[in-house]
Amino acid sequence: MSLSEVKESGEAVVSSIEGDTRFVSRITSIGLTPGCRVSVIKNDKNRPMLVYSRDTMIALNRKECEGVRVEEVSA
Amino acid sequence: MNSATIALLGQPNSGKSTLFNALTGLRQHVGNWPGKTVEKKEGSFFHKGKEYLVADLPGSYSLSANSDEEVITRDFIASGKADVVCILADSSQLQRSLFMLADYAGIDVPCFLLLNMADVAKDQGKQIDAKAISQKLGIPVIPFSATDVKSYDGFYKTLEEAIKKGSKLDVDSLKKQYDGIKGYQEILSLIPENTVPGYSSMWLAVKLMENDKVVCEKLKSALDSETYKKLISAAKETQGAVATGGCKFAWIDDVLSGAVNSSGKKVSLSKLDKIYTSRIWGKPAVILTVLLGLIGSFIPAIPLMIVGSLILMLKVPVASALAAVGAPEVLTLVINDIIIQSFSYIFKMLGFVFGVTLVFGLLEEVGVMARISYVFDNTMGKLGLQGKSVMPFLISFGCTMGGAAGARVIDNWGQKVLTIALAWAVPCGAAWATIPMLSTIFFGPGAVGVIVAILLTMLVHMWITAKVFGGHLVKKEDRYGMIMELPPYHKPKWGALFRYVFGRTKETFFRVAKVVLLVCSIFWLLSYSPSGNGGILYAIGVAIEPVTKIFGMPWQLFLSYIASAVGKEGAIGVISALYNGGSYSAAFTEAMSGAAAATNLNEILLANVSRPEALAFIFAMTFNMPCVVALAATYQETHSAKWTGLIVLYYTAISLLLAFLAYHIGMLIW
Repeated sequence: MSLSEVKESGEAVVSSIEGDTRFVSRITSIGLTPGCRVSVIKNDKNRPMLVYSRDTMIALNRKECEGVRVEEVSA
Repeated sequence: MNSATIALLGQPNSGKSTLFNALTGLRQHVGNWPGKTVEKKEGSFFHKGKEYLVADLPGSYSLSANSDEEVITRDFIASGKADVVCILADSSQLQRSLFMLADYAGIDVPCFLLLNMADVAKDQGKQIDAKAISQKLGIPVIPFSATDVKSYDGFYKTLEEAIKKGSKLDVDSLKKQYDGIKGYQEILSLIPENTVPGYSSMWLAVKLMENDKVVCEKLKSALDSETYKKLISAAKETQGAVATGGCKFAWIDDVLSGAVNSSGKKVSLSKLDKIYTSRIWGKPAVILTVLLGLIGSFIPAIPLMIVGSLILMLKVPVASALAAVGAPEVLTLVINDIIIQSFSYIFKMLGFVFGVTLVFGLLEEVGVMARISYVFDNTMGKLGLQGKSVMPFLISFGCTMGGAAGARVIDNWGQKVLTIALAWAVPCGAAWATIPMLSTIFFGPGAVGVIVAILLTMLVHMWITAKVFGGHLVKKEDRYGMIMELPPYHKPKWGALFRYVFGRTKETFFRVAKVVLLVCSIFWLLSYSPSGNGGILYAIGVAIEPVTKIFGMPWQLFLSYIASAVGKEGAIGVISALYNGGSYSAAFTEAMSGAAAATNLNEILLANVSRPEALAFIFAMTFNMPCVVALAATYQETHSAKWTGLIVLYYTAISLLLAFLAYHIGMLIW
């Protein structure tokens, strides 16, 4: 599933990153790599998502989230 | 050797600019990298009799080839121009912010690591063992807090040590991580050391796997085509940036293991962030923040603005002094109407630039600006802009030059220029003083309709302008959605902030003085006439009246429209003087120094100007170039005479077009 499908206050682990070189490079440099755990803090329509990962609060455009494939885990 | 060069390298929000400002103070210079639109910040400081040159490299999240900023940064470092690189990481988000260090590994230049925001990390209950990290990395590592004076002693000491020892990053354990990638060994064996000076084979191999265009080109020209082909096919077999990114973070985890102790508190949004990120309250909260910031900017601006007004009072004594020594009248006019007038503008502008830079620099530093970006990302993204662009737009309702100065916080040059270009369409305070007044005279209660029409026109104007300029300024590949951290709030470092603000204000003064003096001289020359009646602009205005009438403007209105490009405050004064039979040259300079309009303005206007003409003038004046100082501020922020000129021409054309439309629509109605 894509990261944007994870509900607010849900937890997930990144399974893969899909997209062009630029996207992969940018998403990696902010800390989202396969195997890393992500907590979804905010998930409102028409707003970037807010997720917490590797000590960092990250704002992600919803479209960009499509390329971040995750598996949901129980918190 | 009695001087050394340090380069500051760090991700956005790592506190790099604060450190730069704290170190160099007023000894700094902002320019452009040769042939690029990326800002180049350099400065210097003395410590123990030695001069240190500091290069503040553009902030980016990594050293890949995603943007000009990143390529400039790594090329500068690899060129060996810096004796030592100070790599900044954010202690409060250590794991992620060490990515820059991991991406740096393999560049053959001495470096040391600065763990910034040590105070924020401490507040979060994190304990970091800098010595343990230093041992694993083989370079000096220091905890640092920009707001703590004692931190700087440690900084200078570490700096001297790093230069003396030429400490280089130990990359062995990172190499082992990369060894685990299938195909990496083969790639590495095909790239001999020193293929590209400054970069190790490991670094080049990793960038090749990440499909880094610039590195691919460099390898292509350095190696024979057979080897290069082999390299490319081997790189295709790897998982690219996903695999190398995984290695980098695995290495970071390894470096940090045992060195970081955190209380493991569950993260949650602070009260303020709950409001900013709220679906309902987010936007109102941001608008309120910016408006309060705008009002707050006026307070520090007041002293300089008073200086600006006091300068105008020099006119009378200067004129009489010059008359007393028998100086020619032209000299008096040049001094009064060009030099004194220009410096009055310049000081008023500096006041505002000072206030806006201070208040919005503060919002940026404490972390509020990132929230503004977040809230308006979707809306501004539609125009090809960042969420932050909303801030210059709101400031421009008060003053366009403030908006232009505020656009400084936008880190992408194209988006910054586009933001300023759109901010010009927002009617400023002076226009808002004129619009209701003229509308009420001509349309009575219909004035409300005019104001609504102006606001709607503004929105359409901005949308169209974004389309017209956007394609050239913001490349398609730069129009990506937001991928950004929301940094924790931190306390401002007042000393560094003030030094930065003073530095920017000083620099603005020199740049802007030239532009304002030049433009004011041109306008003065065009309106000057020795007889007091005539002048080039007047002659042209009268001669081309048949043309300007197509746009709904008789020569008097057309000349006031021209005057409104210098300063909108003067437009009404010029109309009033011209319809009262005054000469243009006198009317122009008097109106610009704030002379009041005639008391019988209403009757004069109603007797001479028709309603469609009035409507045409209101639109032409509102959407004309905002004023000379806005022009100068635009030049100062964009560093581009070409784009500033294009924006001026575009706005002149659009304002005339709008006048034409307003006039002809008006003719149909009345």
